[in-house]
Amino acid sequence: MSPEEPGWRWDLNRKELIRLEHISKSFDGQMILDDLNLVIHENEFVTLLGPSGCGKTTTLRIIGGFEHPDSGRVIFDGEDITNLAPNRRQLNTVFQKYALFTHMDIAENIAFGLKIQNKPEDYINDKIRYALKLVNLEGYEHRMPDSLSGGQQQRIAIARAIVCEPKVLLLDEPLGALDLKLRQEMQYELIRLKNELGITFIYVTHDQEEALTMSDHIVVMNQGYIQQEGSPEKIYNEPENAFVADFIGDSNIIPATMVRDRLVRILGAEFACVDTGFGTEKPVDVVIRPEDVELVKPEEGTLSGKVTEVIFKGVHYEMSVMAGGFEWLVHSTKLSESGTDVGIRVDPFNIQVMNRPESEDEEAIGVDV
Amino acid sequence: MKTKLEKVYMAVIFLFMYAPIVTLIVLSFNASKSRARWGGFTLQWYVRLFHDSEVINAMANTLLIALISTVAATIIGTLTCVALMGLRKKTRTIIMGITNIPMINADIVTGISLMLLFRVLHFQTGFVTVLLAHITFNIPYVMLSVMPRMKTLNPDVYNAARDLGAEPFYAFRKTVLPDLMPAVTAGALMAFTMSIDDFIITYFTKGSGFDTLSTKIYNEVKRGIQPEIYALSAIIFALVLALLILRAKIRQRAALPAKKKAALYRKEAHTRTKVIAGVCAAGAAILIAGMAFGGVFSTRGNKLFVYNAGEYIDPDVIDEFEQETGIEVVYDEFESNEIMYAKLAQDSAAYDVVCPSDYMIEKMISEDMLQPLDWDCLPLSRENIGEQYYRTAQQFDPGNRYAVPYFWGTIGILYNRKMVSDPVDSWNILWNPKYKGQILMQDSIRDAFMVALMKDGFDPNTTDQEEIDEATQDLIDQEPLVQAYVVDQVRDKMIGNEAALGVIYSGEATFTLRENPDLAYVIPKEGSNVWLDCWVITKHARNKKAALQWIDFLSREDIALKNFEFITYSTPNIRAQEAIEDPMIRNSKAIFPDADTLARCRTYSYLGKEGDEQYSEAWKKVKSGG
Repeated sequence: MSPEEPGWRWDLNRKELIRLEHISKSFDGQMILDDLNLVIHENEFVTLLGPSGCGKTTTLRIIGGFEHPDSGRVIFDGEDITNLAPNRRQLNTVFQKYALFTHMDIAENIAFGLKIQNKPEDYINDKIRYALKLVNLEGYEHRMPDSLSGGQQQRIAIARAIVCEPKVLLLDEPLGALDLKLRQEMQYELIRLKNELGITFIYVTHDQEEALTMSDHIVVMNQGYIQQEGSPEKIYNEPENAFVADFIGDSNIIPATMVRDRLVRILGAEFACVDTGFGTEKPVDVVIRPEDVELVKPEEGTLSGKVTEVIFKGVHYEMSVMAGGFEWLVHSTKLSESGTDVGIRVDPFNIQVMNRPESEDEEAIGVDV
Repeated sequence: MKTKLEKVYMAVIFLFMYAPIVTLIVLSFNASKSRARWGGFTLQWYVRLFHDSEVINAMANTLLIALISTVAATIIGTLTCVALMGLRKKTRTIIMGITNIPMINADIVTGISLMLLFRVLHFQTGFVTVLLAHITFNIPYVMLSVMPRMKTLNPDVYNAARDLGAEPFYAFRKTVLPDLMPAVTAGALMAFTMSIDDFIITYFTKGSGFDTLSTKIYNEVKRGIQPEIYALSAIIFALVLALLILRAKIRQRAALPAKKKAALYRKEAHTRTKVIAGVCAAGAAILIAGMAFGGVFSTRGNKLFVYNAGEYIDPDVIDEFEQETGIEVVYDEFESNEIMYAKLAQDSAAYDVVCPSDYMIEKMISEDMLQPLDWDCLPLSRENIGEQYYRTAQQFDPGNRYAVPYFWGTIGILYNRKMVSDPVDSWNILWNPKYKGQILMQDSIRDAFMVALMKDGFDPNTTDQEEIDEATQDLIDQEPLVQAYVVDQVRDKMIGNEAALGVIYSGEATFTLRENPDLAYVIPKEGSNVWLDCWVITKHARNKKAALQWIDFLSREDIALKNFEFITYSTPNIRAQEAIEDPMIRNSKAIFPDADTLARCRTYSYLGKEGDEQYSEAWKKVKSGG
């Protein structure tokens, strides 16, 4: 991939901040992480994305110091911190269920870390005001945590974490307990915060939309392995395997055969594509996003079929099209009535060809052959 | 209609639950010693209670044990819960199950097993063993209270504190502990209540020379409960009630909405500090007082271990003996001869000098548990104790080798002169149909059979089945006339004119004569039982010299007189009898029957296992009405 491609935000001179080397961890004999390697750079918004049980939270807790890896090392700013207690690490965490100190008021909550550092009172008071302003909760100093809404509590948890001026802020599904509207608001708030503070955010979520919205860099995980990492655009447009394709957004994943370079046979019809190097007459999977499927007149399409179902979704119509014995999912702003005969056409750039895994293990690891 | 019924039902339930306690509290303010008569309001029992150094000592022990065991159990229990949270759920459930077992386990099993353990480990039983026992049984109660709360806590709250730079203990203290506090306090109060409340486990682990309130009260029961004990029980009830209310308050507080709680928390933070300081100060004071009373600091070597029945000595006498001789007395009380026997059979060197009853002395002599007395060291005992009593003692101690009489008494008929017109001089009057429903019998196998056997001219120690059968039939025939078989209610019922005739011990009779001038006491012409409690020295006594000193000291005229006034049973000390000021008492036939009457009286002897069974069988027939 080239830097000219849209969505390329990486600074080539970016500095490495955290490095996870060969991290393995199991609970009760069940492997959670297996030989995980990950590099996180300074000033990035990195999201660990995956379904529950994929190892993303464990990875975060190992960085935070709340779990100890069975093997491997955690390098922070060039130093091995694998055995360092959490209170000695230069990072702070925002926990899933806020974890505020319920018997302390908001000011005391925010001041907790600063008091341990023996900061002067004036400094602490300034910091409390600054932090509350940053999270838009000015004047809440003497409220008790229980009297705040979920979103407000979460913002206090963030304020509490950032007053300590960490180099990295770890966020463990911080918006998981909020309703949709609030979650969207908080997403923008977090992006703003990240830009204002200029520090690294490591964010854990299972919500792919959230990940796509906020991140500079997404790490997709499944069953203890990293499936793919890259910018949101790259992850969305060029999923490296069926898991990523399926997990990130809706998609049509279809078994196909690579006829030769730049030509793939899908459901009996030959489609032009841009991928090379898969060999000839090789079984593969192709991923085609629903919005990339064009519905045309039957005679103009590469494949013909019939619309079987239409649902109005507001911005677009969601249609099911039976073509070549496969039910295609199609998103389009143009309506084709149910029962209409249609043709299917796909732009070569929008066909993503992937190796087909030959075993389950291979599927989990997501090997690039 | 329905609600009315419900109300009545509730009232009845509450009546059942609280009537006993109300009775107790009312009686603790009753000026009369009798339970049947209201003699006006008084606080004298409370005053007396606080003048009784032994009770104060027991109270100090109780509070000290409760306080220390609560603090220790609360800390250990809470920390255990913290540790358990770090374990896997399955392991945690198993460990919780194991820690809960002692709570379900019968106290008596816990008590005995602790006692055995202490013995195996060669622990000297006393304050420390009781404390350890209380800590042991209190831990589960603390855990039971803390664990559920612990489970509701978000473990990330602790992690958040660590994350913000707190060291582990600081993080625990600042974030976890405040959240746990309501449960910890509730657990601590529960433990405190359980500790104050406990009798059985304390009883088995306390050893000699140490008492808490519960064991102290239990000891007192043997000689009839004194009104001071009502006062004491009322105080304990009030204390436990206060603790329960406090605990409920804390629970309520825990359930308050957050805002209010915060406000309260703030407002009370200051007061709370004061309260904690106050509790600590009070605890320290109790500790020091307890140590002073309990003699923790004393290191004197010349100790005498005395084992006597409850309420069976004027406490001043012990002090006087200690002052005059410089010997330290470790004084313990037993509830019955059987318990005393069990204790000595277990540890023959536990006590130097003991005061059992006649039949038990006979048994102990036969089992070689006693050592002969050196009469040269007992000049006052030889001189002052009446010859007739030594003669009586020969019934169980042939040759007077082992026992020096201490107190004695008879069984006789107490009757109301206004209600009984016939002369009362024979047991036969208890079979007179004229007094149907007016007769009270002792609810005790030996005493009941003694009455029937004596009436028929038999030996009360007979094991002849025919004689027993005849007495059994007599008792069955008598049953329709008897108002009730009772133990110590005879005195109350007779004082309250609730019955005309009653079989009673002479010591109790003396007391009733003072309360109701219409009553009279008679030892029937056929003879009766005489009981005689004597001092004996155990076979393996460690301080034989002091034991002899103790016995002879008690035989001194002024000391015997003092004890007589305290106990009011008949003293065998002739000099003391002569020194009694009140001629009514000095010459009372009830307290001091003449030598002829005494000669007709028999002590009970030990019947052996078979004999006991014979009488038990016969008693069952009587109780089931033939």
